[in-house]
Amino acid sequence: MTSFEDVKKGLYRYEDPETGWVAVIKDVDSLIAAAEKVRDAGVKKFDCFSPFPIHKLEKAMGLSRSWIPFISAIGALTGGTFAFSSMTWIDVSNWPRVMGGKPYFSWPIYVPITFELTVLFTAFATLGAAIYLGRLGKSSRRPVVNTVTSDGFAIWIGDDMSKQNVESLLQGLYTDIRPVTK
Amino acid sequence: MSVIENVYGVGKPSREIDNDILRPVESFPTKLWYIAFGMASVGVVMYWAIAGYSFKKGLGLFAINSPVGWGFYIINFVFWIGIGHAGTLISAILYLFRQRWRTTINRAAEAMTIFAVMTALTFPVLHLGRPWMVFFFFPYPNERGPVWPSFRSPLLWDVFAISTYFTVSLIFWYMGLVPDLATMRDRLVNNEAKTKFGNMLLKLRKNAVNILSIGWVGSAKTWIHYEKMVLILAAISTPLVFSVHSIVSMDFATAIIPGWHATIFPPYFVAGAIYSGFAMVLTIMIISREVFQLKQYVTLKHLENMALVILLTGMMVSFAYITEFVMAAYGGNEMEQYVFINRLKGPYAWAFWTMFTCNVVSPHFMWFKKLRTNIYVLFVISIVVNIGMWFERFVIIVTSLHRDYLPSSWDLYTPTFYDYAMLVGSFGWFFFWYLLFVRALPQIAVAELKADEAGDKVKGYGH
Repeated sequence: MTSFEDVKKGLYRYEDPETGWVAVIKDVDSLIAAAEKVRDAGVKKFDCFSPFPIHKLEKAMGLSRSWIPFISAIGALTGGTFAFSSMTWIDVSNWPRVMGGKPYFSWPIYVPITFELTVLFTAFATLGAAIYLGRLGKSSRRPVVNTVTSDGFAIWIGDDMSKQNVESLLQGLYTDIRPVTK
Repeated sequence: MSVIENVYGVGKPSREIDNDILRPVESFPTKLWYIAFGMASVGVVMYWAIAGYSFKKGLGLFAINSPVGWGFYIINFVFWIGIGHAGTLISAILYLFRQRWRTTINRAAEAMTIFAVMTALTFPVLHLGRPWMVFFFFPYPNERGPVWPSFRSPLLWDVFAISTYFTVSLIFWYMGLVPDLATMRDRLVNNEAKTKFGNMLLKLRKNAVNILSIGWVGSAKTWIHYEKMVLILAAISTPLVFSVHSIVSMDFATAIIPGWHATIFPPYFVAGAIYSGFAMVLTIMIISREVFQLKQYVTLKHLENMALVILLTGMMVSFAYITEFVMAAYGGNEMEQYVFINRLKGPYAWAFWTMFTCNVVSPHFMWFKKLRTNIYVLFVISIVVNIGMWFERFVIIVTSLHRDYLPSSWDLYTPTFYDYAMLVGSFGWFFFWYLLFVRALPQIAVAELKADEAGDKVKGYGH
């Protein structure tokens, strides 16, 4: 789990590559190995790119679990509380009506709408969190290597390193190393 | 990339998967597509023309009367909402159960859900008679005194359930598309058309995918959140899909009409919804895999699995029919007993027996491996099942309403031309959107499929 300090430092945040080197990697295994090497070398600014999610990469890169479930839970609580309390307020205080001789506050009847709004708010919270935490929403952004959305893999090293250092670090894992161009 | 043996895998490198699945999106439509799209468009025009005419003339155009106040509109509504349920079942529930075979049918089924809900949504609104007053349903602080909708009415629950269902399905579907949209974007980068007009179209396409792919670059730091989001959306969609058709069934079950007032309705409706929805997925996928050459992606094994789901839910529906009769017989309520005898022998017995043959008898062909792996048999049964499920709603609504407690108010329900035209038009409306979808967006979740192909070592999507 990311500590709150890490979140504040933005350590696990996506960052657009602007400096350093991009290495094109040939397959999944090499990408995982490369990520481990880069992490162990103490590189702070780096990221991996792949056309599909790779579970082992999280550990290899030293990423922590996502915060999304907490945000979803907040969404769920908000939705449920909002729905239940507003229906209660409307039926008890704003416009009290007797229907079928039932009490004004007939909570079982609020269950369906409370449930639906809980789900709706959770969905919005989850969507918002995924877009915010994953730094999506910038349409002008392009991948560092064009193939990473198809069949390619790449690793970006943003720290100040010479090309020789990157080459020796990723010995045998890369097919190409190029400087990042904006 | 090494490929690990996988029952449902295609054993192809990622680049070829892209080429196969994006081919319909990146090439011009065939003649067949234009013909189908033309037919669907005629349906759409007819649908909205009649709807518009009914705004002027009123609901008298249609056959509804007193006591049969709910006619084709509500039958179609329940039918289309039911169709939608299979998509969420495949995308959310089978996902949580780690059913790998869902990967290749998930996107199309989810799209089907969205278009089916869009079709369903139009019916209750048109049925209002004054559809421009639909905003009265939404509780917002207003100047009509304090006037609020009644939160005790299942019809209002429906408003919430269906709008939530539509929104959540749309979010789930769209976010699933984002990595694939990025693939489309990056494949388009170096494309150039030959003519000026072609270039203009291409620019339009590029802009559209640029905006829709919201800056997806496949970063591990984005995937980690993305996967969690998919998991949570699947987890909330699962109870949601059960709640939606349960609430639809409560529109009936909370009324005191004999034949409606039954506690079995929510599970009975949910099973029926999944049953008809899977039949629709089967119909669509059998056509799609043929037309778009996706046979190695949607294999006979996939179709067989869907056939087995149809068999299971078909038996659940049959069980519910039997339960209804037993409850009526055992419950000792004369009105209830009469309704069920009336279903068997009354003026709408033909509808009941059509429903019975289609829904209770036809799924049992799926017991035989030879039959359930024969696409012709599957295709016919998938259509028969949906005919049966439409008649199920007809039987529930019409036979229960047309003879209620007072024999003096009994009447018959005879659909008019406009009723039939709206039913046909609704298929046009549905296929209009579906046909646009197959040409504009990848029908199979490419990124998910690649993760599956890469095998156990990546174990993506929430593991």
